[in-house]
Amino acid sequence: MPMDFLTYISQLNDALTDEDGPKLAYLLRPTSPHGRDLVKEFRNPTKASLSRYENSMVSPWDDIAIEYVLVCSHVARKRYIEAFKEESQLVSLFLRFFTENRGWTLPALFSILRDLRDLAMDADFHAKYHGQKSDCMEDSARTIAKAFGHCMTDRTSPPDQSRKWGVYYIVGLVLKSYFRVKRISLSKNILRALEANTDIPPLSSFPRSHQVTFRYYIGMLSFLNEDFAKSEEELTLAFYNCHVEAHGNQERILAYLIPLRILKGHLPTQELMKRFPVLDELFAPFIQAIKVGDLKSYDRALEKWEARLLDLNLWLTIEKAREICLRSLFRRMWVASEKSTRIPISMFHAALAVSGIDVSEEETECLVANLIYRNFMKGYISHEMQMVVLAAVNPFPRVVDRPSPYALI
Amino acid sequence: MSSESWPPQLKEWVAKCLGSITDANRPEVQAELKQVISEAFASNTLWTTDWAGVQLKSLMPKPPPVFNSLKRKSMESTTPHQSKKAKKALQKSAAASAAAMDFDDQAALSRRAERFQREHELEKMKSLRVTGGTNNNKANSHQAHFLPRSISSRTGSSYTSNEEPEGDPNVIDWDRYTIVGTSQEIFKDYLRLTSEPKPETIRPYPVLQKTLEELKALWKQKKSYAWVCNQFKSLRQDLTVQRIKNEFTVQVYEIHARMALECNDMVEYNQCQATLRTLYDLGIPGKVEEFTAYRILMLLHGRNRTELNLFVGQLTPRQRADKAVQHALDVQRAQAMGNYQRLCDLYMKAPNMGAYIMDHFIDRERVKGLMVMSRAYKKLSFTFLQTTFAFETTEEIKQFLADHQVNSYINPNVPDNEKMLDTKPMLPELTKIYEEKYRKVMIKGAI
Repeated sequence: MPMDFLTYISQLNDALTDEDGPKLAYLLRPTSPHGRDLVKEFRNPTKASLSRYENSMVSPWDDIAIEYVLVCSHVARKRYIEAFKEESQLVSLFLRFFTENRGWTLPALFSILRDLRDLAMDADFHAKYHGQKSDCMEDSARTIAKAFGHCMTDRTSPPDQSRKWGVYYIVGLVLKSYFRVKRISLSKNILRALEANTDIPPLSSFPRSHQVTFRYYIGMLSFLNEDFAKSEEELTLAFYNCHVEAHGNQERILAYLIPLRILKGHLPTQELMKRFPVLDELFAPFIQAIKVGDLKSYDRALEKWEARLLDLNLWLTIEKAREICLRSLFRRMWVASEKSTRIPISMFHAALAVSGIDVSEEETECLVANLIYRNFMKGYISHEMQMVVLAAVNPFPRVVDRPSPYALI
Repeated sequence: MSSESWPPQLKEWVAKCLGSITDANRPEVQAELKQVISEAFASNTLWTTDWAGVQLKSLMPKPPPVFNSLKRKSMESTTPHQSKKAKKALQKSAAASAAAMDFDDQAALSRRAERFQREHELEKMKSLRVTGGTNNNKANSHQAHFLPRSISSRTGSSYTSNEEPEGDPNVIDWDRYTIVGTSQEIFKDYLRLTSEPKPETIRPYPVLQKTLEELKALWKQKKSYAWVCNQFKSLRQDLTVQRIKNEFTVQVYEIHARMALECNDMVEYNQCQATLRTLYDLGIPGKVEEFTAYRILMLLHGRNRTELNLFVGQLTPRQRADKAVQHALDVQRAQAMGNYQRLCDLYMKAPNMGAYIMDHFIDRERVKGLMVMSRAYKKLSFTFLQTTFAFETTEEIKQFLADHQVNSYINPNVPDNEKMLDTKPMLPELTKIYEEKYRKVMIKGAI
């Protein structure tokens, strides 16, 4: 049976008196079935035409209900920017209610902020498609950040019913918005605000889904700042706590975790890669090239995947991993020269030339120096003799055995 | 002297004179005006003279237009490695006098006469915009570039779009409030605006064009950077308050950015760079590739990994193909791989003014290179280090090593070119210095 507006209002009222957060969230979601019913009930609603319903509920809920109808109506007519604007209104009205209530309202808050973000995404996409400029996403990030403040400042609710239980989820939403519009540098502000508040419960006591999202973004930010140790730690935690069925999320995490592990010398197993064919296609050529020391195919793969790697911000990292491939090549050369402890620079140069890499002897010497510095090789160079003197024992240690691999990057 | 101390008759007369001024006779007329008025002031005849009847000599016969000295070679021919010392040698005070003897009230006096002209000009621009015609009148052409609203693409040609944005009655038409300046002074000292700009102190577009030409000429004559920079700032300010955003604007910022680089003024450079970015984003053509390369180098200098990753990801294929951008990307690659050999080579071959930016981080990279070498070699000769790190003289490498406390030799008692550095004690010392000196990058004025 279709729901009419008066029924809708009374259901809202019930959810409020019962302090039923999930029910409230359901009622405020534009995609819920009653949204369609309400669009049918009011042919072409405007704020003016709905004004007769003001005072039909306790403020601000009368206005929230009206905004809800407007949002649904805009969505149904594919007016995305208008829909976003009304949803923004709805959120600010809701926040007025939110600040005077406890944690039970969080499910509704999460839901409407998610809707706000999705509508912003639609609006921007739509505007871009029509060649217009639109920054709804940034607007939505601002609104969401405001909600973050309202969670943080809860000083009255008892600990278990505090609005503070919303902070990590909301930070996740904000960060997602910033990443989406490529304004990542803005992330610092909200993270600083988070750090400044020491009275938030520890991250591990939050719902696991909140933890995973938050850790993923911290891992990403550390990755972009090339703080690889921190990044690996956060992404690893995110990966192992990620819901088993959230395949897309696992893939997102692995897209960065795999290159980090490669930098350390851990190549992913076939078994793992089979589960993520998209990543397999991207990383397999690099992994293969590292295994056999085929520098040329490594470079070809770099070229082939350049656009994709740049898009993922992975290009610089994969380029760094090239050194591991270089090590494999030199090791093979060393085996071929019967594991001699004295190898002239010209041999290294020849090894590169055979692989189709055109560099000068001076640069070859520099490459070897770097390998020694980063513990890929043990030994020393004599510039005057143009000779590399390798350690008698284990001159090419296993890549994974290198001490503090990230520190020397 | 407040303007009240001037007789109204005089004010009208000055305004009239200034109104009939042309680009060609400006210096003359201004000089004569000053002379006549100061004479009258000295002889206390300011209030008794019948100003309306006074005729300036320089305004009587119309002099033929002078073109010779106005067009000068553009800044682009300045070689990046021009000796910095030679600059302070010559300091011609030719044009400085005009700025020094600032006749403040002059501008105030011309207010009324100029207002008519201004309104007239505004009308003219408006009609030009409505017809959307392509005008060759340089003085007004910037109007067509005012904040293009329908920037749909970055192809670089959309900014000249003739489409008139749809009139929304609820949106304020800011164009109506755009100021057009009336000041005819070529030079003006920079002063940070603290209130609404006054049209009489702002130079209109044609004057600003002349200003740029003059500044370029003076810069070539080794005018001091401090003065030229100040003038560029006031020039930029006048462009901003009049909302002029076109190729000329881009040119002004580009030239100022290059000068700032040459004079190691990173604060101004970063300001120019930031503005240029938004101007290019509007689709206004300029030396986009050159400045894209600078930006990459600046990000390398600042070690702003996040931004660098994003910025490199957003480069267009056309930008990537450019020689300067390619160079900057090569620098980035060499730096990321610790390839000091290649990096120093690229330092020597930097196109445009890239070397000036690389100056800021080359020592840091040399130290990093030396750290690598200290572990890979047992001993290092001066000559090897000199060629590897691209030092021009043995003195320079000696200074560099001394600055970084590298001073233990295997054979301290032989001539310099035979000396061998002992690498064993180097790494801990270098690591310490690197942490202290280079770990944190301070960039003044960075956005």
